[in-house]
Amino acid sequence: MTLRADGDLRAGEHLVGHDEVVMGTVFSFDVALGRGGARGELHVALRHACALLHRLDALLSLWKPESAMSRYRSGALESLPCELTEVFERCAQAKAATDGWFDAEAMPGGMDPTGLVKGWAGQRALDILVGAGFPDAMVNAAGDVATSGGPGGPGRWRIGIQHPGSRAHLLGVAAVDGAIATSGCYERGPHLYDPFERRLTSRFASATVTGPDLTLADALATALAVAGPTGFSFVERLAGYEAVAMAADGTTRQSSGWRFAPVDV
Amino acid sequence: MLSVSVTASGSKITAVTIASLDDGGNFRSQSIDQQSIPILEQEAMQAQSANIQGVSGASYTSAGFQQSLQGALQSLGL
Repeated sequence: MTLRADGDLRAGEHLVGHDEVVMGTVFSFDVALGRGGARGELHVALRHACALLHRLDALLSLWKPESAMSRYRSGALESLPCELTEVFERCAQAKAATDGWFDAEAMPGGMDPTGLVKGWAGQRALDILVGAGFPDAMVNAAGDVATSGGPGGPGRWRIGIQHPGSRAHLLGVAAVDGAIATSGCYERGPHLYDPFERRLTSRFASATVTGPDLTLADALATALAVAGPTGFSFVERLAGYEAVAMAADGTTRQSSGWRFAPVDV
Repeated sequence: MLSVSVTASGSKITAVTIASLDDGGNFRSQSIDQQSIPILEQEAMQAQSANIQGVSGASYTSAGFQQSLQGALQSLGL
């Protein structure tokens, strides 16, 4: 599904899109052309965005022994590429913002920024589209979504939040201004790691965070899923960020400023 | 695991059907399924007719994408 020179775009009634297989998953792009440039220009911008994703994957993947990140972990890397420096800085910011609940350095096997890399990459891919003159765009990084503008006309992008107990259901809809990220173990099994107890665990079945930047939203969602109800204290402290989470018994909890979008519009 | 079928008319999802349910063993306890599904089946239907452009959820793999709601939305060109 790599974007080819001769096209390979999804074309809906209002939106043009593309799905790119990268980082072991699928990144989905959707762009409303109304306020933006022409279709040919979009194709060029998408190729740039996808090239960035593959470059970041080659640098940061822990599944590729030759990546800079893998070599850093094994002590074989002599100088840090600027992308690693930036990711490490974002990890340090996320650790501080979450009172230590997001801690890339405490992960088993050493430094592991996986909990925010997809969000960071998705935000950077969106920034390429917006910078290329497409202000109404959305990048879905395997369930973590960076948005700009809306799907055409007034109104924001409307994003459904997957229900953790049923693939067929949503736990609600959010009209997103910026980013929305969700963390949970219902897709890939237990992988969330508690940096204090140093074991795999999570205290919410699903944790969703909205805010201006997908990198931090992604890390906050991961930290909130691990921390459980106590994690709402760091969400409340961050201006512009809101959260909703569902526990294993199906009960939900929201931050003070969280708003679901009306479902019937 | 859940087995899900999505029915579409034109570009709208008209039905989401759950074919089977059991206790997945992780977070998906029997009680969450039993409590939430009868309530949420209706909400999910409304959500689809309310025209969402994407789905946020726990990270799927490239294989999992095909079974995800995000994948279903895109196969319909929504």
